[in-house]
Amino acid sequence: MVRHAFRAMGTEIELFVDADDAAGAVAAAEAEFHRLEALLSRFRADSELSQLNRAGALDAGPDLLRVTQLALRARTETGGRFDPTVHDAVVAAGYDRTFESLPPDGPAGAPQACGGDVRVERRRIELDDGVHLDLGGIGKGYAVDRAAEILATAGPCLVNAGGDIAVRGGAWPIAVETSEGSLTLELSSGALATSGRDRRRWQRGGRELHHLIDPGTGAPADGDLVRATVVAPDAVTAEVWAKALFLAGGEAGAVEADARRLPSVLVSLDGSTRLAGGLQ
Amino acid sequence: MANHVGRLYALAVALVVFFGTWAVIAAQPWVTAKPDPHLATLAARERQLQRESVAVRRLVAQRWAVYRVELRKRQAQISAAHQTQPVVAAAAPSVRVVTLPPLTVTRTS
Repeated sequence: MVRHAFRAMGTEIELFVDADDAAGAVAAAEAEFHRLEALLSRFRADSELSQLNRAGALDAGPDLLRVTQLALRARTETGGRFDPTVHDAVVAAGYDRTFESLPPDGPAGAPQACGGDVRVERRRIELDDGVHLDLGGIGKGYAVDRAAEILATAGPCLVNAGGDIAVRGGAWPIAVETSEGSLTLELSSGALATSGRDRRRWQRGGRELHHLIDPGTGAPADGDLVRATVVAPDAVTAEVWAKALFLAGGEAGAVEADARRLPSVLVSLDGSTRLAGGLQ
Repeated sequence: MANHVGRLYALAVALVVFFGTWAVIAAQPWVTAKPDPHLATLAARERQLQRESVAVRRLVAQRWAVYRVELRKRQAQISAAHQTQPVVAAAAPSVRVVTLPPLTVTRTS
């Protein structure tokens, strides 16, 4: 078993491969993370995403195009709970630079409207006036899926990017934090992701804020869940639905997870943990 | 002859000095200029209108955003109603709860 860890996309990345000789695949998977970060980061002025946000329109490369299409599809499928146009709302909430360099406190900004129009036609992406994209809620999942495909050429593998996990082959025991401690899920195919308000927190105007913006209010979500973990066929889907169920709340989230057959672990503020979507 | 010319120059200079002095006194530079009350009222009104227009634009943007979110929810409901099986269900991943020690952990990303 090979384990390789490094930092990218503002988080710790772990690669596991059940193979003796996987150095080439591991290096290629790490390079893929760095390549996608350079394209999709909103914190890098020279990224393709930053160019799009500055210009309002761009003939995009295949990755930005694909991630934008996935994000827009997710916006429709989740009824707007996942929305890539939360950029200005996240910035107004204070998350305007990499998390590591955020000041602990500062003046509070007003909630910003989300939901502006984004048009994609062939390679062309066009944003409505005043609309900027934040692909942080989906880009990591996309990178995890890509890296897993690369790593799978060497053998059964697992890719973990700060909680967004994809596996290919084998059976992988993965801990999920609950209110009582943790439970272990064995994942033999697909992916899982966790979204919550228990990390990436900061203060503005003396108020504690977090990075999960509710597009309906343009402010950090204020529901009854601490975090939601969702298992799905791929990391992009898992990441999108983890956020959507988190915003739905414990009761409605469990009903939706059952209806969509998304195995989920929903941890509430009151200390209860629900298993839903067929998970027992 | 020279006296006449001198007198004329003196008269001209005296006139220039006289009117110059008159102009300075008429301008009343020692009196502080009072702001025109009409201009002040107009400026205040302009500021108020700017504030109101910002508030209205913000309100419109918020309502537009709420409308779009509601519209997408409705579109998603319609789209879900047209599907006999959820897309995700067709390719459900394989997962189960076990009591093994974990290899790694998923946390809020």
